[in-house]
Amino acid sequence: MDLFCNERSTARVTRRGAAFALGAALLIAAGISRAEDDPVFRIEFNDGKVTPQRLEVPAKRRFKLELHNVGKSPAEFESKELRKEKVLAPGASSTLVIRTLDPGEYDFFDDFHPNAPPAVLIAK
Amino acid sequence: MGGQLGNVVFVIWRESVEALLVIGILNAWLVHQQAESSRGRLFLWAGVVAGLLVAVILGAALVLFGEALPDDAQQAYQTAAVLIAAALIVQMVFWMRRHGRTLKRDLETSLQDAADRSNWWGVFILALIAVAREGSETVVFLYGTLAAARSGAVLAPFAVVLFGFGLALGTYYLLQLGGRFLSWRVFFRVTEIMLLFLAASLLLTGVDNLIELGVLPSLSGRLWDTSAILPDSGLVGGLVGALTGYRARPDLMQLLVYGLYWGVMCWALFWPRPVAKAA
Repeated sequence: MDLFCNERSTARVTRRGAAFALGAALLIAAGISRAEDDPVFRIEFNDGKVTPQRLEVPAKRRFKLELHNVGKSPAEFESKELRKEKVLAPGASSTLVIRTLDPGEYDFFDDFHPNAPPAVLIAK
Repeated sequence: MGGQLGNVVFVIWRESVEALLVIGILNAWLVHQQAESSRGRLFLWAGVVAGLLVAVILGAALVLFGEALPDDAQQAYQTAAVLIAAALIVQMVFWMRRHGRTLKRDLETSLQDAADRSNWWGVFILALIAVAREGSETVVFLYGTLAAARSGAVLAPFAVVLFGFGLALGTYYLLQLGGRFLSWRVFFRVTEIMLLFLAASLLLTGVDNLIELGVLPSLSGRLWDTSAILPDSGLVGGLVGALTGYRARPDLMQLLVYGLYWGVMCWALFWPRPVAKAA
């Protein structure tokens, strides 16, 4: 996994490099503060039961989905249209960042309980 | 509870079916090409073992550090895996066709031998990715399912897991039987088409990931919606989607890539070309 992160730290320490690093740091800081402003929505998986079944989220903006598996069996958040797939061991939780959605309805499933009805995100 | 157990069987079978197809078809094909088959199969099964190792390591990482693993790195890894696998499957299909036509005569020349050696590594890597990709999810699934069983009756879930694997092995065995008892031409035609669809599905998953990572634009919102007829997730739709790349609500980028893929494949498969190796 380190393959993806290390290259950036090898920038040469020249003045321009330092200015660049400062700029990058500011950008990252801005990114973090922006990330903190993102609205967060909680979704719970409980042995095939997804709560809530219908979740209203803002359209055309970044937001986060906090996934919690409170059941005893593993769960997998999956939505082809949201292009997300996330495996959750029992008791595990995870966060998904959704960059932007057009207004509309988006189905999502617990793919480890495929006979349960789908839940839906409603972007408004 | 009965539904839940059936679920476990189905999920295990589904998670392994993609790897089964790839490995089963390659193995049947290698058995058919008796001359070189033992070396090729060595690479194939070494790839399977390596894939299992990677799956267990990745699965353990997901269980232990699930939240700490960086999301984008995971997705980048997944993207690379599916795109490489798609390319290797297509390469294998064309390799098998070439061999199918000229059969054993080529295998005897040393020139072909060198070309084969690089292909064996392709077989190894393909088997590795095919197993590791869904395998890590299966590991988490098994861990979770069996961990849940600790609190209740241990025997039932354990038996169910074994049954799921049994079903998967049965599917693999069917493929091998097909390779032996169907006419080779029919078996090869059918499995070739299945492999090309599987590669299409992997390619589309890769494109989805690239869009999600911000590398490719999606070019449009949903073009149409056939989820009322056949959704692309859930019991049946999810399986169809995984084996063909079907999307109920495609956007323009997915449509273009899918169309382009099949366009290129049809061109490469059906374009009449002069017989190069007449000698």
